[in-house]
Amino acid sequence: MKWARAVLPPVVVGIVAIVLWEVVVTAGRIAPFILPAPSAIWEQLVEQRQNVWEAALASGTNALIGLIGGAVAGVLAAMASSRFRPLAEVSLPFAAVLNALPIIALAPVLNNMFESTSSLPRRLVAGIIVFFPVFINTLRGLREVDPIHQELMHTYAASGWTFAVKVRLPGSLPHVFTGLRQASSLAVIAAVVAEYFGGLQNGLGSRITSAAAFTAYPRAWAFVVGACLLGLVFYLTTLLLERLAMPWRTRLIA
Amino acid sequence: MSAVLVSSLTKIFNQGRTDEVVALSDVDLEIKSGEFVSLIGPSGCGKSTLLRLIADLIAPSTGTVTVAGKSADAARREQAYGIAFQQAGLFEWRTVLKNVELPLELRGLSKAERKAKASEMLELVGLAEFAGHYPAQLSGGMQQRVAIARALAVRPPLLLMDEPFGALDEMTRERLQSELLGICAQTGTSTVFVTHSISEAVFLSDRVVVMSARPGRITASIPVTLDSRDEAARQSPHYFECVTAVRQALRGTPLTSAS
Repeated sequence: MKWARAVLPPVVVGIVAIVLWEVVVTAGRIAPFILPAPSAIWEQLVEQRQNVWEAALASGTNALIGLIGGAVAGVLAAMASSRFRPLAEVSLPFAAVLNALPIIALAPVLNNMFESTSSLPRRLVAGIIVFFPVFINTLRGLREVDPIHQELMHTYAASGWTFAVKVRLPGSLPHVFTGLRQASSLAVIAAVVAEYFGGLQNGLGSRITSAAAFTAYPRAWAFVVGACLLGLVFYLTTLLLERLAMPWRTRLIA
Repeated sequence: MSAVLVSSLTKIFNQGRTDEVVALSDVDLEIKSGEFVSLIGPSGCGKSTLLRLIADLIAPSTGTVTVAGKSADAARREQAYGIAFQQAGLFEWRTVLKNVELPLELRGLSKAERKAKASEMLELVGLAEFAGHYPAQLSGGMQQRVAIARALAVRPPLLLMDEPFGALDEMTRERLQSELLGICAQTGTSTVFVTHSISEAVFLSDRVVVMSARPGRITASIPVTLDSRDEAARQSPHYFECVTAVRQALRGTPLTSAS
């Protein structure tokens, strides 16, 4: 009952929106290059399902490798920065610069740095984009230690290492996952969009551009739907991992 | 041997700066083995500072602290005391049992030993059936009991408590006071207990140490000799005499001997 009440409203709104979209496009005779009807997109999605699946698999692999690489680098950098204060003071402005840089703009440069058959540039772009939110959030989590916990560990004469493993790391998990949640969607976006600028053309990004170039707009949209679903899968998987990693948060009594 | 020996202890914060504060000035205090001593006084009298000096959480400016015949630093390293604060300060990612196990874990005890000792402590504070719960699932009073179990887990000869019941409602508070006394009697632990509450100090203590502020110092030491520590004790004439004596000492009016 509770479950239905949470799920039903968005589903109803979604269905109403799609029906409205269909009606507006057909009744308003909107040209397909402006906006194709959902039925046309669905038709293409069914027809191209093998292509969408393969392209999504390629983009998904790139996004996943970028996400894992960027997240591991972000967490390690945050751990080093929280341990050695001068390092944090140096690395924070660097990380901010890295974040201000439109990473997507790096894609053409990276594509030219490697062979056109290499998947590395897209993975690098995804990794760099993932790094910042993970780094910043983890660093915040590692720094926010309850003063009582600090004193308690002092009274137990705990070493710096013990303190880091038993208090700092588990205490920072909620922040780490806040960063990962942002990063998971960003990784998919980066992996898809990086293909717009050349490099190996086997993912969703290149399929969208080539379909659009052939004025096959419903097909382009079918791949966009594929990208959307891929992003959702990443996001929901991260949410699931968060639940699994922090059981003390799910067993809360309301 | 005394459990705690504090001699000519002075603590000055921000020494040499314009915002210098003399938190404690020339404090002497001896706590005998097995004795329950409360520190009471107005805010800023340095009672918490004194407790933290005994715990070696901060270092004295001058003077010495000896815990069980050793320096405060050595005593801390040996986990010669357990400590509990106003906030329970439990680790939210650990179950109740794992929270109590933590000090044992850091002592390097084996898994089985840890579990046995921690379970025993949870039994003592009446929370055995909550061993698998997470702290967020417990009420404030239950969390505080877990914190006390954790402080007692290594069976320390000394228990340091900084207003541990301060954030609890009156009913829970009185129940925990009785429980604490039972535990201390059972384990023979010496206790230093910081509190704001006169009735709490008198009910719990063998001796109430009254402090005053600016500079923080000990102004009176009032022995309490209640026959029992139960509801009847809370109604006994001696209890009220002691409450009055402590109140007068806090006000700074001349003191006629309480006992």
